[in-house]
Amino acid sequence: MLEIIDIHKRYGDRVAACGLSLTLAAGEVVALLGPSGCGKSTLLKLIAGLEAPDAGIVRFDGADLARVSPDARGFALMFQDFALFPHLDVLGNVMFGLRERRVAREEARTRACAMLAELGLDGYQARRVWTLSGGEAQRVALARALVTRPRLLLLDEPFSSLDAHLRQGLQQDFRRLLGKQGIPALLVTHDRAEAFAMADRVALLCDGRIQQCATPAALLAAPATPWVARFIGYENLLSDAVVPERAFRLGAGQAPARVEDVVPLAEGMRVRVETALGRFVLTLSAREVAACGGQLHPGGEIGVGIDRDALLRFDRG
Amino acid sequence: MRAERRERRWLYLPPLVFLLLVALAPAARLLLESGARFSVLSDAYLRWRLLWSLGQAALTCVLGTLIGVPVAWVLARTAFPGRALVLRVLMLPFVMPTLVAGIGVLAVFGPHGLFGADLQDTPWLLLYGNLFYNLPLIIRGAHDGFAALPASRLAAARTLGATRLGAFWRVEWPAMLPALGASLCLVFLFCFSGFGLALLLGGVRYATVEVEIYSLVAYELNLADASALALMALTLSGVCVLIYAWFERRLAHPAPVDPLPPAPPRHWQERVALALALGALFFFGGLPLAAVAWRAASAGAAWRVLFEPDTLAALGNTARFSAMTLVLATVLGVMHAMAGRARVWMRAAAFLPYVISPVCMAFGLLLLYPGLSASLGLLIAAYTLLAYPFVAKGIGSALDRMPPTMVQAARTLGASPPRVLWRVTLPLLRPALRRGMAFAAASAVGEFAVTLFLSRPEWTTLTTLIYRHLGRPGAANLDQALVLASLLMGFALLAFLLIEWPSHARRESGG
Amino acid sequence: MKSFLSAIAFVLAAGIAHGDELRVLAHSSFDLPKPLLADFERQAGVKLVIVKAGDAGEMLNKLILTRAHPIADVVFGIDNSLIAKALDAGVIDPYVQKAGARPSHVGLPGGVASVDYGYVTLNYDKAWFAKNHLPLPRTLDDLTRPAYKNLLVVENPATSSPGLAFLLSTISALGEDRAFALWARLRANGVKVSKGWDEAYYTDFSRNGGSRPIVLSYATSPAAEVFYSKEKLTESPTANLPLPGAVFRQVEGVALVKGGGERQAAGKFIDFMRSDAVQKALQTTMWMYPAVDATPVDPALRFAAIPAAHQTPDENTIHRKAAAWVARWTQVVLR
Repeated sequence: MLEIIDIHKRYGDRVAACGLSLTLAAGEVVALLGPSGCGKSTLLKLIAGLEAPDAGIVRFDGADLARVSPDARGFALMFQDFALFPHLDVLGNVMFGLRERRVAREEARTRACAMLAELGLDGYQARRVWTLSGGEAQRVALARALVTRPRLLLLDEPFSSLDAHLRQGLQQDFRRLLGKQGIPALLVTHDRAEAFAMADRVALLCDGRIQQCATPAALLAAPATPWVARFIGYENLLSDAVVPERAFRLGAGQAPARVEDVVPLAEGMRVRVETALGRFVLTLSAREVAACGGQLHPGGEIGVGIDRDALLRFDRG
Repeated sequence: MRAERRERRWLYLPPLVFLLLVALAPAARLLLESGARFSVLSDAYLRWRLLWSLGQAALTCVLGTLIGVPVAWVLARTAFPGRALVLRVLMLPFVMPTLVAGIGVLAVFGPHGLFGADLQDTPWLLLYGNLFYNLPLIIRGAHDGFAALPASRLAAARTLGATRLGAFWRVEWPAMLPALGASLCLVFLFCFSGFGLALLLGGVRYATVEVEIYSLVAYELNLADASALALMALTLSGVCVLIYAWFERRLAHPAPVDPLPPAPPRHWQERVALALALGALFFFGGLPLAAVAWRAASAGAAWRVLFEPDTLAALGNTARFSAMTLVLATVLGVMHAMAGRARVWMRAAAFLPYVISPVCMAFGLLLLYPGLSASLGLLIAAYTLLAYPFVAKGIGSALDRMPPTMVQAARTLGASPPRVLWRVTLPLLRPALRRGMAFAAASAVGEFAVTLFLSRPEWTTLTTLIYRHLGRPGAANLDQALVLASLLMGFALLAFLLIEWPSHARRESGG
Repeated sequence: MKSFLSAIAFVLAAGIAHGDELRVLAHSSFDLPKPLLADFERQAGVKLVIVKAGDAGEMLNKLILTRAHPIADVVFGIDNSLIAKALDAGVIDPYVQKAGARPSHVGLPGGVASVDYGYVTLNYDKAWFAKNHLPLPRTLDDLTRPAYKNLLVVENPATSSPGLAFLLSTISALGEDRAFALWARLRANGVKVSKGWDEAYYTDFSRNGGSRPIVLSYATSPAAEVFYSKEKLTESPTANLPLPGAVFRQVEGVALVKGGGERQAAGKFIDFMRSDAVQKALQTTMWMYPAVDATPVDPALRFAAIPAAHQTPDENTIHRKAAAWVARWTQVVLR
């Protein structure tokens, strides 16, 4: 549906995209995951038509979008700061896109109210936008984006300004709504938990190009590069593979490792050890802690081995 | 995208063409007529003129900072009944017609002034007049600077062991400095290139270089010396404007902050500080206006002048010209501001009308467009030229504060660029637009420099009517002039209040 | 965009003079009753466009500056202190008055028709002198005595017509060197110099709240004080002080502008300015005496006295010397 082919974009010395390609299928939610400042937001603006690429093609349903202006693309972009219009009330904000798409005032009002009700914002129609809480503002922004039934929804860090508790509830609402409307969405985030929770596929962006794009499960099962592995949360890496937690073997029969540091957890303990293969961080269950006897203190010695078959090897191809 | 950029370039065109036709070309034409004789500087008298112009502008800045910054700090940090009102009418002196200000200042410190001190023929009269006009600008700048400081930063300084004074010097002062710097640049510019006020208050000895240019051109037809002086003045004020534009760009951050809320005074020291601040405000800003009103109020029968046909005609003209000016100034000002967002030189160009000598411009226009010399079009163009920088400046800084995502959001929601302008940008700019228009309207109502242009009796405005009364002997004429001056003051006040009032009722923030 | 530019063009075009308009350039004191001007427009079949160009000196300079493309067809307000400069600069076309034009004992050279005349002289505040029991000065020299210290305000000859007139009359009466010696002593005795007439009269003259009881003004000013008084007066609160060397007779005229159009209407306008109606009206609008001999003097002017003598240099001397004298005056009095 959306095809991004070999996009290049630079601002002076800063490279935002360098041979970047990505595709999105109908109804699919893809998360664009990357560190801050890697060009994620720029990519959204390129897709929305707010910026023009230096080179490369953006296509939707097979049609080149190069000469299509942002208002004619039929996409909706939800901004990190929500960008609600302070001169309009909540209803005015939600109706904005409908009015711009020439929907009659009455119908626009009906549809906007319905969308607000769907997001649990019934009764908020006349509120001024600066009186809204973060979560409310976020839902208004979502309503404003969805009510126009966009061909594609672009979300720029939609949850970053909310607290963790609020975030989880909203993420669920989001998935439900996107699934229900069948709108494909591209979500930009630097939070891997959010990416994994929301997206069908996750694309990892670094240095202006996609490092890997796969379903969350596939990513976890086979990270393509050490950078990807680290970024999606693996702590223990060898030069050619990731050592998942389950690959570690503990016990007296294993090679001796020196305990460097221990951090008690609610259930068990995090232990940093030095082995012949390198430094690793292990998360031990309470049972495993008990099995290690009195050695879990800096300077202590426990046996740590690695099951080579359980390693996740990087794709060298 | 390419289309949009072309459109932006389009916005440049009308303001630049306007400036070229009405300001640059005429001044250049006058220069061509005579060339410039730079040996003027060997004349000790003209050298002193130039130095005094610089000196009085610098002195105004220094005095303004010494008085204005403490007042601004008190206004920003102290809560008191009527604070909102004070902040609202703060800029009132700045929009007062020059003639009214001149009469008011003379009523306070002229011969037989309120305090028995006759400051005429001393430099203090002009300096007081300068401060009357420009102190509000400095206070406003510094106040906005103080108000834009996040409370957390101040709290951090205090918890890190800074005393209140220490926190002021090391946190508040540096944070406010760019805002103050921008205001000071403008103040310097207005004082240095000032014409009307200096003509009225400078006397023979303490007039500015612009007044000297006027004498050289109008009375001696000595264009070569005048051009040389005008070019030197242009260079100096041009530099000043560029520095201002640079400051403005530095201030351009759409950062909404949680400022320190003003607190009611707690100790007697704070109460004294508040009283002093309000007293200073009244002494410099309120007194001349009160004096005009008081003199007019005791004028008795002269109030009948208000119902004379001449006055009514002048009122009609003032309203007509102001309205025409306002329309033109708004259109040009908005275009200029939008075109000039990212470019320092374009921002600076908005102040061209205050950089180019109005005298040279007025005489240049005669030379350049003799057929239009007494046309309404040229008159309105002249008014517009002096009014529109206010719109451009106001809109410019509002655009700076507007988050770019507003426009982008509207674009992705399906609004074409003109629709974005209509439905998002302009509504968001409304408070700034309203304020800019208030300044523009007030300046059009009482613009002094326009009296330099050819005028026609059927175009008599309130300002020129006051002149006519002042040009005839007889006590009744003086009284009538004072009544008309207070009427003019009333109109400036009304325009200001009407336009300024509602903008504070709602939150102005763009996001 | 296009509509915007065309709007500007429209506004500009709206002001462009179009056919059958007579452009009259005048100084800022020009003032005649509107019905009178309307009558003229009807009779001459043209529309009058009156353009004020500031003080008379400034007006002439504007005329000189734009002589290649004149901004007016006829000019009013060129007086005997400016006329030689105007003729020299070639901005005036001579106008030959019809045979049998009414005689006038004040005239101007170069085909400029005289319209009115008046006297620039000192005025004093009667109440002030009565209250301070000070005798009136009898000569200009008296004004340099300690008793009259800080009592006089005059206008700057560089920026004001009456100021220049006064300087010229002192030179005419005393000769150049003695006149400037007098000015030096006046300066030492605290003469105050104002930029223009309105400033001198309305901020410095003691009658209007200033501190100076002697002001340089016009001989008709006392009459205007009665005419524009707040209550009915039987006597003027001010009077002339026509000291020898302090009276300048100013004759103002109307002339054709070289290169201007509407010649016939312009001629009619010149005749109109010398007509009975205008000659009568100008006495209480511009506070000058009518140049046409037969005109009855307005009763309002009975409060003004015509000075017995005046010290006015001839036009050519003024033209040759004025600039240098003003420069020397500035040196002596201001710097």
